[in-house]
Amino acid sequence: MIRTVLGFFIAALTICIVIILAPFSSDDEPATIDVTRNETGNVTAPVAAPIGSTGTLAPGVAEAIAPAPGVAGQAAARILAASRAGQEPELKIQTDTSSIGDTTAGVLAALGLATGAAPVPTPAEQGGDEMMNMTASVLSGIRGATGQPAAAPQQNDLQTLVAWALKEGQSDSYIDALLNEAASAGQITVPNMLVTSDGRVDTATLLASIVQEATAATTGQRAAVPTTPLGPSDGVEVRVVQRAGETEQFRFYTVGSGDSLGSISVKFYGSVEYYPRIFEANRTILSSPDRIQTGQRLVIPELG
Amino acid sequence: MLRLFSSIAIGLCVCFGAAQAQDVKITDNMPEAVIDLNGTTVTISRIQDTENLLTGDFAKTSRPCPPFCIHPMTIEDGVKTVGELEVIDFLSTKVADGSGLLIDSRVPDFFVRGAIPGAINVPFTTLEASNPYRTDIIKALGAVEIGGGLDFTNALDLMLYCNGPWCDQSPRAIRGLLEAGYPAEKLFYYRGGVQDWVMLGLTTVTPSNDG
Repeated sequence: MIRTVLGFFIAALTICIVIILAPFSSDDEPATIDVTRNETGNVTAPVAAPIGSTGTLAPGVAEAIAPAPGVAGQAAARILAASRAGQEPELKIQTDTSSIGDTTAGVLAALGLATGAAPVPTPAEQGGDEMMNMTASVLSGIRGATGQPAAAPQQNDLQTLVAWALKEGQSDSYIDALLNEAASAGQITVPNMLVTSDGRVDTATLLASIVQEATAATTGQRAAVPTTPLGPSDGVEVRVVQRAGETEQFRFYTVGSGDSLGSISVKFYGSVEYYPRIFEANRTILSSPDRIQTGQRLVIPELG
Repeated sequence: MLRLFSSIAIGLCVCFGAAQAQDVKITDNMPEAVIDLNGTTVTISRIQDTENLLTGDFAKTSRPCPPFCIHPMTIEDGVKTVGELEVIDFLSTKVADGSGLLIDSRVPDFFVRGAIPGAINVPFTTLEASNPYRTDIIKALGAVEIGGGLDFTNALDLMLYCNGPWCDQSPRAIRGLLEAGYPAEKLFYYRGGVQDWVMLGLTTVTPSNDG
């Protein structure tokens, strides 16, 4: 069953990467692209040559996740290098509370594709986004004035890396290795719902979300909630509770290895944006969205 | 007699001409300030038309207080208050050699309508505690994370201004910085702000890109 779902993802991924990358073959690229290119331009040369041949994104998903930490780590380090001077690297993945919608929109913007507003942002999130954008322009202003190397603010480093890797046509496994290296070295912060039960970055869900947004932006269609029924083999358990004549159905999900709150949200609701629902319903056992652990039994609320 | 008249006339003309040609200088020995900032040349001079009057927002005398109340000369202990010449000096020394920044602490709307040359826009809202990313800005200003705290030894000197002596955006920015641990002796307050700056006919720029 998981294979079917994965198969769908791979197919969607292939189509959408073609859609994303197609516009960039033309010469009249929008101005936004230049910005990222400048930021990453100096690293393209040393890194792109040996790895450029790894292949397209889609086949990469099928490949076993075999990180190439040396090269990936170097790339991440170089991309984020100068502005990070003086920061102590930490071994634990640093997380932030940013919504994956922002990350996705940021990556797509860097790739020259506008998505419009992220779906269903709460007022608090909107305030946060505005501050993040304002901070980003402040930082670019300060760096422009002080002659520091232009770099995206820390929250956007993840976006910078992903956008760069996608533009380079790196494989999924390469991007996964890159992000995990950078995250464990403390060079990027990751939205907390993208931390898996193994403490890694859920690159697959992030990339799938980018693809989903890109599809929505180019075709105007949102991906539908998956209709494939999930059964016990997927770690899903359905309990029917009868109470005062009403029948209520509860779904439970046992966290598997490699699951993140984001990927579970995709599994049940078709989009990462619903992860707060799952988190809220499981506050008693989850102290934070990134504290998800293999074997935990989560309540999956019905979207009402 | 005719000769006398004509010489007087010529003398008058010369005087008048000289008066017309005389610059509205910044100071007696500084007609204008030409500053090289990170590869860009910034020129600060004054409007030469001695009949020029302010129009628009900065010609206003009265704004409702609150919120537009008159600020004291000293905004916080240890934060020096400065005037126009110190702003120009700060630009040509500290900002030029990379040890300081002139900060326009107004919201971007104001900044893009006209700012002091060489200033960068850091809206006061981004320096208040409500901005979860404030530390990123503080670090970009030269603070270094040490242990659980921040070390400001090599942090930049900052000179902040906003719309005028009645504007609380730079005082709030200064308080935000102090609260984040920025040392008061590295902060300077140009109280006159844009209103005093344009009242003296000094150059403003309308930044086109960053903001």
